Amino acid sequence: MDFNLSDEQELFVAGVRELMERENWEAYFVECDEKHEYLLRWVKALAELGIDTMLLPEEHDGMDAGLVTLTAIWEELGRHGAPTYVLYQLPGFNTVLRHGTQEQIDKIFALRGTGEQMWNSAITEPSAGSDVGSLKTTYTRKDGKVYLNGHKCFITSSSHCPYLVVMARDSASPDSPVFSEWFVDMSKPGIKLNPLDEIGLRMDSCCEVIFDNVELEEKDMFGSEGNGFNRVKEEFDAERFLVACTNYGIALCAFEDAAKYANQRIQFGEAIGRTQLIQEKFAHMAIKLNAMKNMVYETAWKCDNGTVNSGDAAMCKYFCANAAFEVVDSAMQVLGGIGITGHRVGRFWRDLRVDRVSGGSDEMQILTLGRQVLKKYR
Amino acid sequence: MTMKIIVGCKLVPEEQDIVVQADGSLDVSRATPKISPFDLNAIEAAVEVKGLVGEAHITALSVGDKTLENSKARKDILSRGPDAMTAVMDDAYTHLLPEQTAEVMATAAREIGFDLILCGDGSGDLLAQQVGTRLGALLDVATLSGVSKIVSADNGKLVVERALESEVEVLEVTLPAVISVSADINTPAIPGMKAILAAGKKPVGTMTPSALGVAQGTASVELLETKAPKQKERLNVMIEGDGEDQIAELVSHLRKILN
Repeated sequence: MDFNLSDEQELFVAGVRELMERENWEAYFVECDEKHEYLLRWVKALAELGIDTMLLPEEHDGMDAGLVTLTAIWEELGRHGAPTYVLYQLPGFNTVLRHGTQEQIDKIFALRGTGEQMWNSAITEPSAGSDVGSLKTTYTRKDGKVYLNGHKCFITSSSHCPYLVVMARDSASPDSPVFSEWFVDMSKPGIKLNPLDEIGLRMDSCCEVIFDNVELEEKDMFGSEGNGFNRVKEEFDAERFLVACTNYGIALCAFEDAAKYANQRIQFGEAIGRTQLIQEKFAHMAIKLNAMKNMVYETAWKCDNGTVNSGDAAMCKYFCANAAFEVVDSAMQVLGGIGITGHRVGRFWRDLRVDRVSGGSDEMQILTLGRQVLKKYR
Repeated sequence: MTMKIIVGCKLVPEEQDIVVQADGSLDVSRATPKISPFDLNAIEAAVEVKGLVGEAHITALSVGDKTLENSKARKDILSRGPDAMTAVMDDAYTHLLPEQTAEVMATAAREIGFDLILCGDGSGDLLAQQVGTRLGALLDVATLSGVSKIVSADNGKLVVERALESEVEVLEVTLPAVISVSADINTPAIPGMKAILAAGKKPVGTMTPSALGVAQGTASVELLETKAPKQKERLNVMIEGDGEDQIAELVSHLRKILN
């Protein structure tokens, strides 16, 4: 088994390390987190290195880089305290290529290299969280136009994305539901945003979105009619994997912050790292980090080789969100007063708490995983 | 006409990996090779000149031992802008001094051909700050060091700035020339992923001293040892405040140490 990265992968990692060490990005992260602002300057710097289009095929001027490469880069960014959670949109280029019309592709590709947010799916509703089939937003055809009506909530990035891909049901078929997606330009009349004050992931936005008779054209359909659920299911595994990858990187950062502190903080005449109660925490943190690392790299490798299943992705997200939360929590304990009064581990802790709910709750991961595991022995 | 640029590029041990032994000698056996930081400025300057003249071909020229076989280091160099790389390698080149380095580089540069040679002002390990100047002398071309800005470049000449203590010199240099650049001339760009992927496809040529016919002159200087400076015991004197009295106290402490 070869755990070595290639020369190129190592150089990508060295590049992002240099970017992270060139300036005090942490001050910028703190500012964006406090103000609940998207960190455009940082994402643009990454886009300039080509990270925004690394997953695109070469014929679309991408690099065909796989998820192992992405993991190595995310690990290094996370280790420097960077909020890689805002980068979940990058695979969106590929999704639009697969399902979008040429007009939709052009609109999204115009944003490459800018670091700007592009689009996100809008599925969740007050009555439809994990139970997505209960969603009530409708599209209605009338006089050659399409009208969107409904109420979405907890929609990540919705404040700054110029487009949302909105899941809705055909109002003409109330008994046997037909779910389709619509590529909605967020500047259209009839759209109202109510920003939500999320406890974590604050460098991204989260809103309630209300569609009041939003007029669309047939050409605004995203993908094919009735294929909405299949389309988003395809994306779940990648989305869950990315969350896990982000969680692992940030846990590594908290661990290293705490380790340096433990070796330097003197109490009762010696470094606290020399006391067994602190050492025990580090032993457990190291075990969790190692397990997370192996799991994210293995899952990435499986994705790259086309052998990943939804159980793998669910396992990865569930384990990493929880193990990373525990690592960050322990790091916070080691850091003591400093950890709870403005240190970056506090931000990580809030962010990770959100990740156990968003992108598929812990409970949904367990259900998916349990089913998938038993399937093999049927 | 394509301008031929050579940029000097040395691999040095990563400082963080160097272990200082009890006797002060340095163990670099576990240090990964990296591009000498000052040479990163030279490479960036070469890319800048290429941008100004439009058509140019940049060859990175490295002299050293087998470390230069390191494929990652080669790609690292080539990802930063050079179109090709030439490595002059020999086992005896591990601790080459500036006199020999300049000799080897001069011979290789004549072989490759050049309009402009760019170097860093010194190397990240020894910082002797001699190679560029010696190289210019051996090649008998215009030679400048400490260049802090490239103002303009075309196929016959370069206009550059050099920051002196209280003024800035503006100099016009007729090519061919050897120019050493200061560390503040630019901030080297971080290579993008595309450039890194393309680096592995760029040509790397190797030369040996015998094939090149480097003169085996007797060295006028011999390297005996390289040692870390002894760690000084810190006095831990802290003076708080910035009034006259505190300044006087600071000065009196400094005097005591200097005398």
